[in-house]
Amino acid sequence: MKKINIKEFYQTKKEEFSLTLVTNPKTLDNVIVNKYLNRPGLALGGYFERFANERIQILGETEISYLQSLKDEDLYDRIKEIFVYEIPCFIVTKGLSVPEQMEYLANEMNIAILSSRLQTDKLYHSLRKFLEDVFAPSQTIHGTLVDVFGVGILITGKSGIGKSECALDLVERGHRLITDDVVKIKLREDVLMGSSSNDYGHFMEIRGVGLIDIEKMFGIQAARIQKRLDAQIELMPWQDNMDYERIGLSDNFVDILGVKIPIIYLPVSPGKNVSVIMEVVAMNHILKTYGYDAAKVYTQKLQQDLQRKSKIYNTLLDDKE
Amino acid sequence: MIRKTIVIENKLGMHARPATLIVKAATKYRSEFRIKKDDMEINGKSIMGVMTLAAEYKSQLELIADGIDEEYLIEEISELFASKFGEE
Repeated sequence: MKKINIKEFYQTKKEEFSLTLVTNPKTLDNVIVNKYLNRPGLALGGYFERFANERIQILGETEISYLQSLKDEDLYDRIKEIFVYEIPCFIVTKGLSVPEQMEYLANEMNIAILSSRLQTDKLYHSLRKFLEDVFAPSQTIHGTLVDVFGVGILITGKSGIGKSECALDLVERGHRLITDDVVKIKLREDVLMGSSSNDYGHFMEIRGVGLIDIEKMFGIQAARIQKRLDAQIELMPWQDNMDYERIGLSDNFVDILGVKIPIIYLPVSPGKNVSVIMEVVAMNHILKTYGYDAAKVYTQKLQQDLQRKSKIYNTLLDDKE
Repeated sequence: MIRKTIVIENKLGMHARPATLIVKAATKYRSEFRIKKDDMEINGKSIMGVMTLAAEYKSQLELIADGIDEEYLIEEISELFASKFGEE
């Protein structure tokens, strides 16, 4: 299970969410364990059934004004009741200040209160987006990710089959490299996003040459930071008895983090220009997305032709004198 | 399939030279070889992959070999780690 330390969250994100710390720094030891946010309106009102205490608690203008409307001793008791639960932290929006008793109890019971200058709605959305991204299911895959005519193609295959060389050829043809060798894939809603697993830049290893820097060599137009994954191409050595796709009517799919993407098993043999085939795969993918399937159109034409011919034949056959 | 957990004992961590040694040793064998660090799993026969781990001093790695010569592969790689790649 992934966790984010509140201290780390506060230190790295305080500018982005314009945060300041209300309580003392030793309250920052808690951890955030899920991507959800909660507005604890009902809990403040005293209703604790199904109180989502493990989420970050957001206090907006309504919550603060409700707290201020309570009598001092009621407020103290209620806050104490809430603070018994394990809560990662509270974030107060619009730069509002929390009641003194709440601040005192938070310090006593080690629960961080942060204050954000952003409006509740704005904070809610941007914080949610950030948490979605952090807690998104992810996976690393051995392969190379390229953007060919706007189609994100993941090239996989055994070591030494020529993934990098193929990507290099594509870059030379004006396509863009996202990352070579280790692709980090994240699930964002229903879309797979691929990027590099580090921020070193766009480096690549070419056997016999060593490391090269694609961005320096081919310019910024050859590099891209992330790309949606649209299709996978698995390069494999040519095998005589393997059943390769010939028409393209039946699509194969591969499951990555629960999302199905089309996969093409591409045999490679010396002298074969794989990058041209990659371009063709990309263009075919675009055509299919727009509703044109070459394999279907061709087979339909063939069928119509066959039907027409058999009609003529039958008519001639039936025409007995 | 063999899995073995090892700890990086050389002070500089897994920089380019040790990474090359590992990849060169691993590619001699026919078995598949993967290295896992935290939630990242990479192909141990690829130099970029091994360097991507950015495995620092005292970090823990899991070696995973699968194939006909998996024992020999793991043995040679483990020896490399044990020898600290000839470093401090």
